[in-house]
Amino acid sequence: MIRVEGIHKHFGALHVLRGITFEVSKGEALVIIGPSGSGKSTLLRCINLLVEPDEGKVLIEGAQVNRPDIRPEWVRQQVGMVFQSFNLFTHLSVLENVMLGPVRVKGLQREAATAMAKELLARVGLAAKANAYPAELSGGQQQRVAIARALAVDPKAILFDEPTSALDPEYIREVLDVMAALARSGMTMIVVTHEMGFASSVSQRILFMDAGRIIEEGRPEQIFENPQQDRTRAFVSKILR
Amino acid sequence: MAGTLKDQERKRARAFDMMAGIALTVGAIVVLVEIFVGRSGFDFGWVVDHLPGFLNATQLTFYVTTVAFGAGLGIGFLLGWARTARWIPLDKIVRDRERLREEGTSLVAARIRTIPLILLSMVKYLVRRIGDAYVEIIRGTPLFVQIVFIWSILLVNYPRLEQKELFAGLIALTANTGGYQSEIFRAGLQTVHSGQVEAGRAIGLSRWGAMRHVVLPQALRLIIPPLTNEYIGLLKASSLLIVIGVSELTGYGRNLAFTSFKIFEVFAVATAIYLLITVPVSKIVQYFEVRYRIPGFGIQQPAEARV
Repeated sequence: MIRVEGIHKHFGALHVLRGITFEVSKGEALVIIGPSGSGKSTLLRCINLLVEPDEGKVLIEGAQVNRPDIRPEWVRQQVGMVFQSFNLFTHLSVLENVMLGPVRVKGLQREAATAMAKELLARVGLAAKANAYPAELSGGQQQRVAIARALAVDPKAILFDEPTSALDPEYIREVLDVMAALARSGMTMIVVTHEMGFASSVSQRILFMDAGRIIEEGRPEQIFENPQQDRTRAFVSKILR
Repeated sequence: MAGTLKDQERKRARAFDMMAGIALTVGAIVVLVEIFVGRSGFDFGWVVDHLPGFLNATQLTFYVTTVAFGAGLGIGFLLGWARTARWIPLDKIVRDRERLREEGTSLVAARIRTIPLILLSMVKYLVRRIGDAYVEIIRGTPLFVQIVFIWSILLVNYPRLEQKELFAGLIALTANTGGYQSEIFRAGLQTVHSGQVEAGRAIGLSRWGAMRHVVLPQALRLIIPPLTNEYIGLLKASSLLIVIGVSELTGYGRNLAFTSFKIFEVFAVATAIYLLITVPVSKIVQYFEVRYRIPGFGIQQPAEARV
């Protein structure tokens, strides 16, 4: 469903992505792991064109989308994103955070958007917090709102950029549960995470990235228990500890 | 439990604050009475007779300040935004052209299709550089000189223009406050965290949409205090229009003082009027600031200080 081909990205002299090619099929939950600085976040941002790749193709349902004649805004409605630091709109209530996309991007009527937003908030277990402001929520609650916000524009896939890395340990579970439920409901997901439990139970495939390249690809148990490459082995042994 | 130790301390502090305030006010009244009616005598009757003239002049001051400030808001926002912008996206232009070439578009057609992007970035670049120069000129010269300079331009080029003093004054004040407000806006816009824009873009908002629905509502809340300062500063600065003969509050007062010799009364009234505008303005703005404050955003005040 989403396919990237030979993606390269430079930031000045830094060659961040050095030819990345992979594909995610519909309904799959793909997990990407790798040391910090390996280009995982940049790769995700290349897929929804928050960062424009220097070379290579991004294809959604077979059609190339990183072309001058396709609006990146349209692409981002197809592929939602959840950030490490939540990035909820601080000046809007939880409900308004979820509604902003449907109302301002999709042109939905306010009543319809409100009903939909409430439904999504109920789905992430936060119906009671609709009128609270982001700063009044815990990290885990904020991230669940962010997931609802991403779902609100009805995307075909969602990218998760280390969604639990900024959370206190007691809140990680609730976010992963929401993500697992989302995966079970058939949402196509690309998840950058170091949560091994989540990766093993939810994903069918794991990519290991280092220094801008995909080093190894395989089923979770293979990557975690029997990695083929030295670099994968070194990394996995560090995070499994 | 009603009377914890903390509550008692707070009550005591509040009582002290009130007593100090009363003492200061009483002291000030005593001094004022001594000045006004003690020795030389304050001619209240004369002041009341001339109040309509003062009010007219006040209206002019208020009008000039508000119009200049309003126009300055527009200039300030656009220029402030332009000056936060990035460098020319040269690599994007080249990349788009190469991509079109790869897809089999002819070289000429590919070049033509990137022309709008090139023009747009050139305009953006020019606006930014001109904006930089403009702000430097406004900040680097006295308002006094700016007023006289613009007036002299009108005087030389449009000698028959009616009310050219007022017109020159309006242009000078607008240009001046526009420059300062663009700096206020730039700082405000840049203070909003970049993750907010990214999140806005990620749900499909355009650049303008993210500005309007995400950045601006946050930036405006942050820059209300400096904008209020700017308005009050501009109101006071409008007194400089005296130099080109605009009869706003200060100018009117000076003329009246020279013809009536009631110098003390005139400037006492002018002082009172300026204060009667500036103090309520800052109080009203403070009220709105608290009213539209959002939990966890901007500077938090202690619960006691809230309205």
